Amino acid sequence: MLDLRNLTKRFGKGDSAVTALHEVSFSITEGEFFTLLGPSGCGKTTLLRLIAGFEPPTSGALVLDGRDIAHTPPNRRPVNTVFQNYALFPHLTVAENVGFALGAQGRPKVEIAETVTRMLDLVQLSHLAQRKSGELSGGQQQRVALARALAPKPRILLLDEPLSALDMKLRKEMQVELKRLQQETGLTFIFVTHDQEEALTMSDRIAVMGGGRIQQIASPRELYDQPANRFVAGFIGETNFLAATCAAGRLILPQAATTLPVAHADGPVTLMVRPEHVVLAGAQPDALTLTAQVDRLVYFGTDTHVHLHLADGCTLVARVQNGLRGGLPCRQGETIPVSLPGDALHLLPQEAG
Amino acid sequence: MADRAFDTRRLPGAATLAIACFAILYLPMVILVANSFNEGRVIGQWEGLSLHWYGKALQNEAFVAAAKTSLILATLAAMIATITATMAALATTRTRGFKGEGAIHITLNQPIMVPEIVLAIALLIIIAQIKQATGYSGLGYLVIAHSAFCIPFAYMPIRARLEGMDLTLETAAADLYASRFYAFRKVTLPLLAPAILAGFMLAFVISLDDVVISDFLKSPGQDTLPTYLLGELKRNLTSEIYAISSLLLLISVLIVGGSWLLTRKKT
Repeated sequence: MLDLRNLTKRFGKGDSAVTALHEVSFSITEGEFFTLLGPSGCGKTTLLRLIAGFEPPTSGALVLDGRDIAHTPPNRRPVNTVFQNYALFPHLTVAENVGFALGAQGRPKVEIAETVTRMLDLVQLSHLAQRKSGELSGGQQQRVALARALAPKPRILLLDEPLSALDMKLRKEMQVELKRLQQETGLTFIFVTHDQEEALTMSDRIAVMGGGRIQQIASPRELYDQPANRFVAGFIGETNFLAATCAAGRLILPQAATTLPVAHADGPVTLMVRPEHVVLAGAQPDALTLTAQVDRLVYFGTDTHVHLHLADGCTLVARVQNGLRGGLPCRQGETIPVSLPGDALHLLPQEAG
Repeated sequence: MADRAFDTRRLPGAATLAIACFAILYLPMVILVANSFNEGRVIGQWEGLSLHWYGKALQNEAFVAAAKTSLILATLAAMIATITATMAALATTRTRGFKGEGAIHITLNQPIMVPEIVLAIALLIIIAQIKQATGYSGLGYLVIAHSAFCIPFAYMPIRARLEGMDLTLETAAADLYASRFYAFRKVTLPLLAPAILAGFMLAFVISLDDVVISDFLKSPGQDTLPTYLLGELKRNLTSEIYAISSLLLLISVLIVGGSWLLTRKKT
């Protein structure tokens, strides 16, 4: 439905030019909840502004329903945005805000009134229709911004970190609410966030961005379990990285007493293992077995993080779920056996630096 | 606020100085207004409260004519200045930076800095020529001159408001299918309206108050309120002048107060 083809955006000219987006290409399918995730400065907001039409791309095409809209002005694109600061019109009432787009399109008054009523019902704000937007709480403004962007029935709804200004509790509520709205309307959402948890819980697919490039596009599960590179692995969730080698079909971790069979080309690799998969016991079948010393135990309520170091100084974090009966898995200073189960290991190409 | 290390209010003599300044500023005005209500015609000799001089002023045809000229002139000049200033403010804030933008900004504000007498003489030289060539001696010259020096006063509040306005509002309007014109009419202009009105009022008061340029450029027999007062003062000082001055003061205070109410930040 929406195809991005080699989109590049450079700001500035000559030597001082900064490339915010490098040859970004991907497709979004109808009805998808698609998230652009990345640290600040990764280009996600620039990409959203390109799709909205607030900035023209330096090169590349943006094809919506078979038509290249890369240079179409924002008011002629069937795409609406929920802004980070909401950008509600302060001189207009809630109802007038929601009806703004339809008014600009010159729709009949009756139709505008009907749509506004329906939209305010959808976001449960009918009782505030005549209020000025400045008189609303953050959460209410957020809903008005949503209703306003949904009212003209866009082909795609763009959301620019819409939840970042809300407090934790409201944020969780709005996450559920947004997902419900998306499923009810069947609309395509492109959601920008730097919050990995938000991305993982809401999205159908996530594009992880870093340095103006798409690092990986995948489902939340796949991103977490099979990150394409170290950047993605490090950005999504917590993880351990260890330097290892593949040789003659075996995975060799220098610190481990055992090796595992591996289907990987020979050479150095980065071994990734999630803290929750590290087992604090030896002699497991099909696992790399090591010895480690316990540096610190950090209690997190549902689980405890065990910070370890190996004989050569490499550090490793294990996450152990706290049982009903207290009792820690180990004590600080203790030397314990540790296993890394073969099916929990993920190999990444070794990168410079 | 209470813990400020340096508080000007605690400096020795600060209170005395402040009171002295206010007294010099406002005491003469108070005396003038008080005298306008004096039944008698001699200052300092109170003969009872009366609106006698106000009545007399309103029956004075020359005064009424001058007042009418002044109000028409101020309204026209303020309107032209405000429209021009609004366009200039939009051009200097809502476009990509262009060459000479800084020069335009300085040029716009120059009339505040240039000695008025210089401007008056310069205008006189040109306008005298035009008068001779065309034979037209109406209010048009004053309207154009007043519009010109009122522009910076209207420009300042409008530009300040435009600079403080959240640009994402205009972006949002464009995102919601508004054409440039629709976005301007429905978003920018309503948000700018208080500043435009404030700019208009400032320009109005500045025009209403002008003596030097009006006196240089007016055609024979033409009088604005200030030039009429100046002429009267040269002849004789009557309490009627106090009444007229008080009326002028009242208009200015009302307008400046109104402009302040419109532009102050909402709490």
